[in-house]
Amino acid sequence: MILKRTEMGRLVNALAACAIFFFATMSFGAAQDLPGLVQDMLSPQQAPTDSAPVPSVPPLSLPNAERKVDASLVSEVSGLPVGGEVWVGLRQKIPPGWHTYWRNPGDSGEPTHIEWQLPDGFSAGEIQWPAPHRLPYGPLVNFGYKDEVLLLTRIKAPADLPVGEPVTLRGHARWLVCEEICIPEDQEVALTLVATSDSPGADPAWAELFENTRRALPQPAPWPTTVATGSDGLRLSIDASLPADRVSDVAFFPYEDGWIDNAAEQEARIGAEALTVDLQPGYRPLEGILEGIIVIEEALETGTARQAFRVVAEPVLAPAGLAGPDITVLNAFLFALMGGLILNLMPCVFPVLSMKALALAAKAHGERQHAAIGGAVFTLGVLVSFAAIAGSLIALQAGGTQVGWGFQLQSPVFVTLLAYLLFAVGLSLSGVFAVGSSLMGIGGNLSAVSGHRGAFLTGVLAAIVATPCTAPFMGAAIGFALTQPAAVSMGVFLALSLGMALPYLLLSLFPSLLRFLPRPGAWMERLKQALAFPMYASAIWLVWVLSQQTGPQGVLVALAGILLIAFAAWLHGATREGARGWRVTGAVGASAAVILALVLVRLPAPAPSPASPVATASLPSDGLAYEPYSADRLAQLRRENRAVFVNFTAAWCVTCLVNDRVALATQEVADAFARWDVAYLKGDWTNRDPEITAALREFGRSGVPLYVFYPPADSGRDPIVLPQILTEAAVVSTLDSLNRDIIGG
Amino acid sequence: MKSVASSHALPFALAIGMAGLITAGAALAAPSVQQPAPDFTAVDSNGRSHSLSDFRGQTVILEWTNHDCPYVRKHYETGNMQALQKDSAKDGVVWLSVISSAPGTQGYVKGDEANRLTETRDAAPSAVLLDPEGKVGTLYAARTTPHMYIVDPEGTLVYMGGIDDKPTSRRSSVKDAKNYVRQALAEMKAGQPISEASTRPYGCSVKYAY
Repeated sequence: MILKRTEMGRLVNALAACAIFFFATMSFGAAQDLPGLVQDMLSPQQAPTDSAPVPSVPPLSLPNAERKVDASLVSEVSGLPVGGEVWVGLRQKIPPGWHTYWRNPGDSGEPTHIEWQLPDGFSAGEIQWPAPHRLPYGPLVNFGYKDEVLLLTRIKAPADLPVGEPVTLRGHARWLVCEEICIPEDQEVALTLVATSDSPGADPAWAELFENTRRALPQPAPWPTTVATGSDGLRLSIDASLPADRVSDVAFFPYEDGWIDNAAEQEARIGAEALTVDLQPGYRPLEGILEGIIVIEEALETGTARQAFRVVAEPVLAPAGLAGPDITVLNAFLFALMGGLILNLMPCVFPVLSMKALALAAKAHGERQHAAIGGAVFTLGVLVSFAAIAGSLIALQAGGTQVGWGFQLQSPVFVTLLAYLLFAVGLSLSGVFAVGSSLMGIGGNLSAVSGHRGAFLTGVLAAIVATPCTAPFMGAAIGFALTQPAAVSMGVFLALSLGMALPYLLLSLFPSLLRFLPRPGAWMERLKQALAFPMYASAIWLVWVLSQQTGPQGVLVALAGILLIAFAAWLHGATREGARGWRVTGAVGASAAVILALVLVRLPAPAPSPASPVATASLPSDGLAYEPYSADRLAQLRRENRAVFVNFTAAWCVTCLVNDRVALATQEVADAFARWDVAYLKGDWTNRDPEITAALREFGRSGVPLYVFYPPADSGRDPIVLPQILTEAAVVSTLDSLNRDIIGG
Repeated sequence: MKSVASSHALPFALAIGMAGLITAGAALAAPSVQQPAPDFTAVDSNGRSHSLSDFRGQTVILEWTNHDCPYVRKHYETGNMQALQKDSAKDGVVWLSVISSAPGTQGYVKGDEANRLTETRDAAPSAVLLDPEGKVGTLYAARTTPHMYIVDPEGTLVYMGGIDDKPTSRRSSVKDAKNYVRQALAEMKAGQPISEASTRPYGCSVKYAY
């Protein structure tokens, strides 16, 4: 996205905070003045001296049959590599209705703990906790596991093990298992492996469980994450561009207790550029970073994928209202209306509208009827323009294009034209050429000249010049609007435009208000000239935006165009009062200069903007060399009788990113690719790409991820579609088995 | 639980309502230390009614309990809880044990059984409050047994959290534990600020009705 949030965005948020303040309720249970009866009980009871016997303590370690949880220690591989490491897991089989706990157990409970008793020279790492589930109990919520869980631990073996000897790894595991009641259990667990000199193969009995558990381990989040603390909550913002319609659930699990209210509803919003999760504060203030995991459930064509990411959220300063969870529809309308009002003060809008107001003041004693209609028509112009912009935005979004508000500013052509326009308005205000004349009749007394059409066009102009200011300014409301049904989105934009038109509308409807405006006079001319400078500043800003989009060439074009506009304005202004011949020459020359400026915009096809919002979500490298996908390249590789692996992915597809990291970035996969000389193509569907869309359709899919393995053409075998939830084992075994078959046959 | 607001997931009606109030109602709103402790009235195991405000001028300890919870048993079967009750009583501290277990759940007792438990365990609370509807528990967002709170003589909540820093049910953990309640009481007595005023409560969940 080109437009960054500015200080002005903060201002709006501060305003939002004021409004939210009124809704915020803090109740501490009103003091009840009930009669206090008791004084006698205040004297501490005397403890009996012959105390009753304390009930006998039951043995801590229960016999196997009485335990709720059936635990065992299992290994990923069938041997113990000397001097290497091996992943083992404490497997808990949990009876239905019962659960054990994650590292942070939530409102109650206790995490599982393993005390290792390893032979000399061995060492064990920390437990790797798979993503937990939220387990509600009444008003409480715990974090833990049901049915079955594998708690992975890495064991390092010393280098001086005698090969061929069995080694027993022992541990004492303790856990709490709860249904409605809680039972602490513990068990001695052990596992015997034979030391081997080479790397042992996977134990087929547990391969699937290990694979599934690996997938449930949190990955480092590939997105910058921040947390803002407000008066009524925390807002976790993850700079991830996720497809709202694919994400079915989002939950944050903190590593430590007390930062958040575990049981409170977590409200997740998926905007065009960020995922935000609103959290209720816990009993201790967050000081510093917020650490935990975010679990995103994504609806795939073949089921639901649950992905966990480790996030370390940096604290950011935020006005109190930012973290307020409740921009409701009504609030959004209200804020949009206020925002629209404030827009009148923006450097790009104020000059235009103040010209309108001054024009009105100048003819304060004119026809009331006329003024009222003019105001209404002006308002209509603003509304229609905003509706058109919002409508196209909503339509584009509905069509699946990843666009955000201000998308029109992603077009360098639009930005250049807008810079011209603002510059021209500035020149007109400076008096270089007279207002109210040709050239679309920019600015001031257009309405006086051409009546209602002029009022309408002024409304359109005001809306157009307002858009670049709106995007950073109305971030909160617009971000909200774009996640809403179309009708609500439209409502927000219309409220915004109504707010913008409101001052002028009121002035025109109630001309008596004009009494409060100063008398017209020479000061108006001075003010007008002064107001030119904000317009120039806005134009400069747009040229800067352009420099980000297109580099020096686009800036050159824009500045040359601005020069031509200035020339045209001067020519027009200078010849206007002259003889007819001069006037015609001036008009023709000025028009030619303007046309040239407009043509210039299209001349050097500006480099496509790299700064589209989706592209900024980084696609983690999966370590394998790949070529971009194209149907031609695929066909060529197939003709060369190469095996081809195609990975259709997108930066906004969570599952794709996880697959890239978990299943494709491994050495095993790289080896398998090398072993069978597999060509690797990657189709990036982050931006719309009809070629990829067609390829997906060929396999009956309408979205990513899609993994297709094409065996060498000579084998005569059909392409194989791999699972959407990809595992390293799936990739390697597909490649190995197929190629072995082919070569063997 | 979590609601994902996407283009078609957010019901219109919900949006028009006040989301802030809706979410606040869904969970326990925890009180804060250094704020007035929420007042309540509850009936004890002898049928007598007590309000927190009755004890203005005295330090009050609230202990959430459930005699069958392994974590509570750790503290009673080692005599740890009783020792704390007796020691604090010597300083005139009011000790209110609160049972918020709903009828039919673990830890739910009637008055006479509560008294019998006090007697057989040699416990020394000033009173055992019966809160089968979970009203007091909800007011304090009590989530575990044990879960401890200290209210100072001015009625300000000055401590909330765990009884100590060993979140386990193992009895052997008691002797090496830092008892946060003991520490807070000592600091109050010495006129010092409470160094750890809000800690993680641990134990079984409070068995609220649901």
